[in-house]
Amino acid sequence: MEKPGKFSGDLLQLKDVNLVVANICSKLKDDVFHTLRCQGGVVGISGGIDSSVTLALAAKSIGAQNLLGVIMPERDSNPESRILAQKLADKFGVKTVVEDISLALDGFQCYSRRDEAVKRIIPGYNPGTDKMKIGIRADSIEKDLPPVFYLTVIFSGGTRESKRLPVNEYLQIVAASNLKQRSRMSMLYYHAESLHYAVLGTPNKHEVEQGFFVKYGDGGADAMPIAGLYKTQVYQLARFLGVPDEIIGRTPTTDTYSAEQSQEEFFYQLPFEEMDLLWYGWENGYSSEAVAKELGYTEDLVVKNYKNFERKRKTTEYLRMAPIRDY
Amino acid sequence: MKEQIRGFVYKTTFSAPEKINDDTLLFDEGIFDSMGLLNLISFLENDFSIKIADSELDATNFGSINAIASFLAMKLQTKEICAGLPAI
Repeated sequence: MEKPGKFSGDLLQLKDVNLVVANICSKLKDDVFHTLRCQGGVVGISGGIDSSVTLALAAKSIGAQNLLGVIMPERDSNPESRILAQKLADKFGVKTVVEDISLALDGFQCYSRRDEAVKRIIPGYNPGTDKMKIGIRADSIEKDLPPVFYLTVIFSGGTRESKRLPVNEYLQIVAASNLKQRSRMSMLYYHAESLHYAVLGTPNKHEVEQGFFVKYGDGGADAMPIAGLYKTQVYQLARFLGVPDEIIGRTPTTDTYSAEQSQEEFFYQLPFEEMDLLWYGWENGYSSEAVAKELGYTEDLVVKNYKNFERKRKTTEYLRMAPIRDY
Repeated sequence: MKEQIRGFVYKTTFSAPEKINDDTLLFDEGIFDSMGLLNLISFLENDFSIKIADSELDATNFGSINAIASFLAMKLQTKEICAGLPAI
């Protein structure tokens, strides 16, 4: 594999953002209007950086008049998300519709199925007053094993209890929570089909390649304009495109559980700036020694991260696969 | 004990016994993923009545069938010693 030179911390900075934006916009326009033969696009907007950049790119590419922003809060959403999503759409002149999916999720028993599993582990949990989240420990990368998840309940009085999740409860909580992303995908396709628009998905490169998305949930879309961009580059585009500063300055969260939770805590285990560089180093065949030197890591830690990336890519391959049809 | 561990690994990974030996690196070689680890923890805790601490979850204890067997033997021995101690 050809390497683009010495490994350095600014390798991922786009040299010509204007050109990158122009290329994405040109391809997206062609994909929506010709490949997909649609008359516009819908984007689920959450007030997060990825959906904001996707909407901004789409507005530039296919025109704000051919775009619909769908805001889909539910009972556990941070109220700030909806306000920021609206602010973003206003900035780019995109029409919006707000669809509260809480009742749909009640119908699926999303909350009750999740809370039932939580109570089996932490019986004192009261979903009406307490908050919960699941995540991995920051030191799990050191263990040289796949991470295990911990359930944390933050009681109304401010105390917290955290326990390692056994397999059955972990699966039930994740399966119930994934109903949120899948309900959003259904709502996006409702609006897309009713307007003869395409669904524009919002996952970035890490989410796609490390499998940090829900199959047929946020992974269900017709086109994913930022799927080739590292998170560092998504931020670079956000600044270039004029995404509101409040969105750029926000910590990326999952906005899935009732307790606040960063994406780093839930899945990535690293600040995105470091993860971007590690992933780039791994993907482009840089030695662990060169990457360790640049990032100030031990070589052993870089090797463990490389192994972790390899494991994640392998074990999440099924998420990126289309249904197997060659029988 | 090792036979039970082997049986668990073959059964949960749908692998042929000839493909996994006692030193095969279960996680490095992609035989087990995070679900495999969770299932393994449940199997050891339930079938051998032990409690595995968070600090014990590392490749030294779980990396291969041999590693798991050594770890389990140590845990069972500790349990036996503790059971023989007077309550305080």
